[in-house]
Amino acid sequence: MASKIQSVSAPREPAPVMSTSSTILNMREKEKYIEDFEFPFCDESSKYEKVAKIGQGTFGEVFKARARNSSKKFVAMKKVLMDNEKEGFPITALREIKILQLLKHENVVNLIEICRTKATLHNKYRSTFYLVFDFCEHDLAGLLSNVNVKFSLGEIKRVMQQLLNGLYYIHSNKILHRDMKAANVLITKNGVLKLADFGLARAFSVAKSGQANKYTNRVVTLWYRPPELLLGDRNYGPPVDMWGAGCIMAEMWTRSPIMQGPTEQQQLILISQLCGSCTPDVWPGVESLDLYNKMELPKGQKRKVKERLKPYVKDPYGCDLLDKLLQLDPAKRYDADTALNHDFFWTDPMPCDLASMLAQHTQSMFEYLAPPRRPGHLRHHHHVPGVQPKPAQPTQDSGYQDRVF
Amino acid sequence: MPYWYYDKKDLQNTPSFRDGIPNETENRYRKEGARFIIDTGSKMDLGYNTVATGVVYFHRFYMFHSFRTFPRYITACCCLFLAGKVEETPKKCKDIIKVAKSLLTEMKFSTFGEDPKEEVMTLERILLQTIKFDLQVEHPYGCLLKYAKCLKGDKAKLQKMVQMAWTFVNDSLCTTLCLQWEPEVIAVALMFLAGKLSKFEVMDWNGRTPKHTAWWDMFVEDITMELLEDICHQVLDLYSPQTQPSGGDSPPETTASRAPKNDKKPSVTPPTSVSPVAVTKVAAPAITPVKNGSDLKLEPPKIDMRFTYPGYPTMPAYPPVYTAPPPSIPPPNRLPIPQGPPPPLRYAEPPPAPSRFPPVNVPPPNYFGPPLPTRGPLPPRGPIPPGPLPPRPYYPPP
Ligand SMILES: Nc1ncnc2c1ncn2[C@@H]1O[C@H](COP(=O)(O)OP(=O)(O)O)[C@@H](O)[C@H]1O
Ligand SMILES: [Mg+2]
Repeated sequence: MASKIQSVSAPREPAPVMSTSSTILNMREKEKYIEDFEFPFCDESSKYEKVAKIGQGTFGEVFKARARNSSKKFVAMKKVLMDNEKEGFPITALREIKILQLLKHENVVNLIEICRTKATLHNKYRSTFYLVFDFCEHDLAGLLSNVNVKFSLGEIKRVMQQLLNGLYYIHSNKILHRDMKAANVLITKNGVLKLADFGLARAFSVAKSGQANKYTNRVVTLWYRPPELLLGDRNYGPPVDMWGAGCIMAEMWTRSPIMQGPTEQQQLILISQLCGSCTPDVWPGVESLDLYNKMELPKGQKRKVKERLKPYVKDPYGCDLLDKLLQLDPAKRYDADTALNHDFFWTDPMPCDLASMLAQHTQSMFEYLAPPRRPGHLRHHHHVPGVQPKPAQPTQDSGYQDRVF
Repeated sequence: MPYWYYDKKDLQNTPSFRDGIPNETENRYRKEGARFIIDTGSKMDLGYNTVATGVVYFHRFYMFHSFRTFPRYITACCCLFLAGKVEETPKKCKDIIKVAKSLLTEMKFSTFGEDPKEEVMTLERILLQTIKFDLQVEHPYGCLLKYAKCLKGDKAKLQKMVQMAWTFVNDSLCTTLCLQWEPEVIAVALMFLAGKLSKFEVMDWNGRTPKHTAWWDMFVEDITMELLEDICHQVLDLYSPQTQPSGGDSPPETTASRAPKNDKKPSVTPPTSVSPVAVTKVAAPAITPVKNGSDLKLEPPKIDMRFTYPGYPTMPAYPPVYTAPPPSIPPPNRLPIPQGPPPPLRYAEPPPAPSRFPPVNVPPPNYFGPPLPTRGPLPPRGPIPPGPLPPRPYYPPP
């Protein structure tokens, strides 16, 4: 970075001579200054050329783009949506940036830089910002929704092992992801898994006695939301992500989300039907959660995790790990480290590389581009414009088409 | 991440200087801006971390832009606004502006333009680009507490010393020290200063090795006495009357009276050396010393003078700007009157402990510590346990 700074020459032009008696720049002069200033640390987004839209997120669109100086280098550009922001640059985007700058790991999506459009009269001298990431060819939701993509048991193990490895890393760094779901899990064509979308992530601290944390529980896409959040817990931690990991793991076999509740109440019922009733017996302390008495909680439900998933999963170790991840009581839920040591990952067939399987597919697969058979994939609690995403035109580059199933 | 430390040369040849603003004026603007952030932040019950982050953004911003292009008070508001969001203590822009208005003269507030909020919004984007979205800033506070834990000696005296050092750190925000030295170095220097002034001589410390000649050798390698003194002087200069605001408000000034442009070649170059002193982890092997202490040589008065005579006349003239008790150590009620002349510092009176500061023994939250090592290679496992082996490969039922 030092070499870059050396080229810094702040305003190259001396400030324009003032026409007024004031030495503060007037509006016009300031606008010109802003337009001409070359921010040494923040490149213009025009260094990339958009290739296709690959995602419509909650705080912006995501594009695949190519570096203009190299036809081989692809990136994903996530636009920071600021139109309806009363409080300037969104705090969620600031969090995502801050967290991504901190997290550097093989299994976490890599933030390359933040780019801007040039400030001009046209945009009222306000730049638009993009988060620029290393491009990943697929997301897990896209892969799972394509029946031609078949994962062997060893490949499923490799996916889960990488996912848990990523979670182990972020949790060790005191970060909660808070939006685990298949669409936020990216996979490169070489089979490397990357956790993505830290738009809801935050740092956590271990609550000191007598001083509970007060995080919002309006996080995590409903279908992947753990029971403690649905019951109003505001002092939660890494187990919220582990529940999501369990849901994703099951989905590796079922190919669609295992509990698709239309409402929070319904989601809780679905959870009880799979994991048994939420009672103080299996989950000490549940009775003191805010919504424990306000939500309708099915009574007398038996736990049927293994029983119901066995027809799909078959592998007993897989069933057992799922059982450990889909624990109602967050304190009993496996953490990433324990899960990685589970026999599932250490018995034949051992985890096996995804690259050769993925090599059979020459199209990028993303949730956004998949046929609309996964409704409700958008975050439950966000207002989402009611537009159905239009599939993008297929584009061809580096042997990868951006759509076509 | 960008490198945010500058040589004294660079700190003189700033965009403002090249824009015709003399160094002394710029330093005054910086001090006023920083103080304003501190005052506004305190009035809004923002914690020391948020305030300090805002001030660091402010100082960095003016390494790329001139005070003439961007008047200081609105930039200060913008820095505090952004810092609030980054440090998870967000304040509404309009509330910040309201407080700012209450603290500023009408003349100064007029630099906010017709629609102050819109001005801040536009400025925020410029600020973000200028600081390269390098949002997370470390401050000396955390180091200070960490270091204090290692020092042995009279508990009460140690508390007093940390309390004083904490105040010096607050006040150091009004200098450009955060553009010169890592927080670790600043913390060491200001603890050194506080130790002298509070007569807390560190005789022993946990983790001492025969190689150590001073306690700070554990944390910062190759810090010279000259450097320590230079840093202390920069803070002490805040309290000397010569550097008090000397009338004349910042821009607007008239064009006619404007100083000629300082046409030095613009070169906001970082020192070629990476780090002036190597900040080390405890017990790490010595790393590179770099910056030669010689270009830091100070003009008199000799710092020892100030140390030996606590009643250095000019020191207390400038009140501590932003006082906060060190979070981990409850402030003493009142500094015991030492033998000899009474200590001149107002810091002796610890500020009331406002609730916004973390309770005793809870260091300021530091969400983003250094990344932990990644999980090591998975241990090899024993033979596959008996039991039904699942069929492979298995494809899910349709
Ligand atoms: N680095 C990337 N490479 C490829 N696709 C990506 C990348 N980042 C995001 N995407 C795609 O864009 C979608 C939305 O991005 P995401 O970061 O999840 O934003 P949002 O918060 O809007 O959901 C993802 O589900 C994924 O399909
Ligand atoms: Mg997403």
